[in-house]
Amino acid sequence: MNAHPTREEDFDLYALGALEGDERLAIETHVVSCADCARKLAEAHGRIALLALAAPPSEPSAGVKQRLMQQVRRDAERSSALPASPGVPARTSGRPSRETPRSSEPFGRWWAAVLVPVGAVLAVATVLLWTDNRQLDRQLAGLRSAVEQQQQQLQEAREAADMIESHDTVTIALAQQPGMPAGAAHVMYNARMGMLMYDGEIAPAPAAKSYQLWLVPEGGKPISAGVFNPVGGRTDHWMMKLPQGIAAKEFAVSLEPAGGMPQPTGPMVLIGRA
Amino acid sequence: MSSETGTELRASDAALIDRIMQRDQTALAALYDRYAGMLSSVLIRILRDRQTAEEILQDIFFQLWSAPSRFDPGRGSLPAWLMVIARNRAISQLRRHNPAAGEPLVEAAAISTINLESAASQQQLLGRVKGALENLPPEQRAAVEFAYFDGLTHSEIAKRTGDPLGTVKTRLRSAVETLRRTLHSAAGSTT
Repeated sequence: MNAHPTREEDFDLYALGALEGDERLAIETHVVSCADCARKLAEAHGRIALLALAAPPSEPSAGVKQRLMQQVRRDAERSSALPASPGVPARTSGRPSRETPRSSEPFGRWWAAVLVPVGAVLAVATVLLWTDNRQLDRQLAGLRSAVEQQQQQLQEAREAADMIESHDTVTIALAQQPGMPAGAAHVMYNARMGMLMYDGEIAPAPAAKSYQLWLVPEGGKPISAGVFNPVGGRTDHWMMKLPQGIAAKEFAVSLEPAGGMPQPTGPMVLIGRA
Repeated sequence: MSSETGTELRASDAALIDRIMQRDQTALAALYDRYAGMLSSVLIRILRDRQTAEEILQDIFFQLWSAPSRFDPGRGSLPAWLMVIARNRAISQLRRHNPAAGEPLVEAAAISTINLESAASQQQLLGRVKGALENLPPEQRAAVEFAYFDGLTHSEIAKRTGDPLGTVKTRLRSAVETLRRTLHSAAGSTT
């Protein structure tokens, strides 16, 4: 176990996200084996979280709750093991109803009998048009987002093709290590472009664990190339971008706590020399 | 703005989480009314993009519905836990647009005794937190905001402001020392 942080505020600086490199790593590795410091770090997270309250107030749009509750209803309906969905509460507000009191005066005039229904129809039409407009806005935003996503995918596909065809791209086979889950993979890496593509097959990670791919440079510490949890064991054409110009000594896959670690802490499952 | 009924206004966070575990949708709606505004504010402040912020907000509450047991009431308050998740999700989103920035954030355990179950307690604590930040020297306050709301590390703040790295570290350490004292007493006063 490495030493306790020398100053109490180190935990707050960590929770704030200001620490980096060795300072950050020292706390991360220390709290794994020191319950007292792990508690202090959790307290610091709780304290620093309060800074959220300093953000300028901004209520979410009403549609967010509506969409959330629709999502929840669909989820509840999908779950056949559960009792019938109780549904969203009929109320939308805990406050008393604010209906405008109706006039006690009877509609004695003929035009009122015409204008009131016409007014009601117009009001309904206005609401429907407004709702349609909102739906169209949302659809447009969704389409715009889909187009941007497709453009990004196209760009990534072009970059992948460039990397595969490039003469300075190397392919490295990663082999299973003794005593580790069965698996094999290969990595295509282009240091000049800072691009890497991983293909492999490996047993699913145990609960609360993730696989993490590392580039081990000629000099210096391993660099995380990403965290993955292969569905069905297979990972195909997983593209990653890394800093450009790093000469790789080897690539490795380790088993880490879910979400990955800044530096390898778990066993190496696959290793391949460049 | 809240639309909680009187019964739900009185229900504790822990009781509402219990009801979510029993698949009570009204309990989730009540927690949404209680904390969505607070989370929305920090998400929009970090992301500066309402649409993405609202997508993350919806997802956080759906995750709460899907896996309420991930919150352990024995370890502290629900709003602190939600605020840590919201901030981490927002900063991760920022870094996805700029993969070279910073290191990955993972969900962290957060212990806090704050109680924000009523709008009054939220307002009270909000005033104290704002006061704590406003009492910092401007350069310390700016450094804290760069770190918390923009997800910048020491060296990234130094690069952004043009100040020497050592100066930034000293500023942030001094700010955090002050905030430790003031936020601790602020949190204590709402329990």
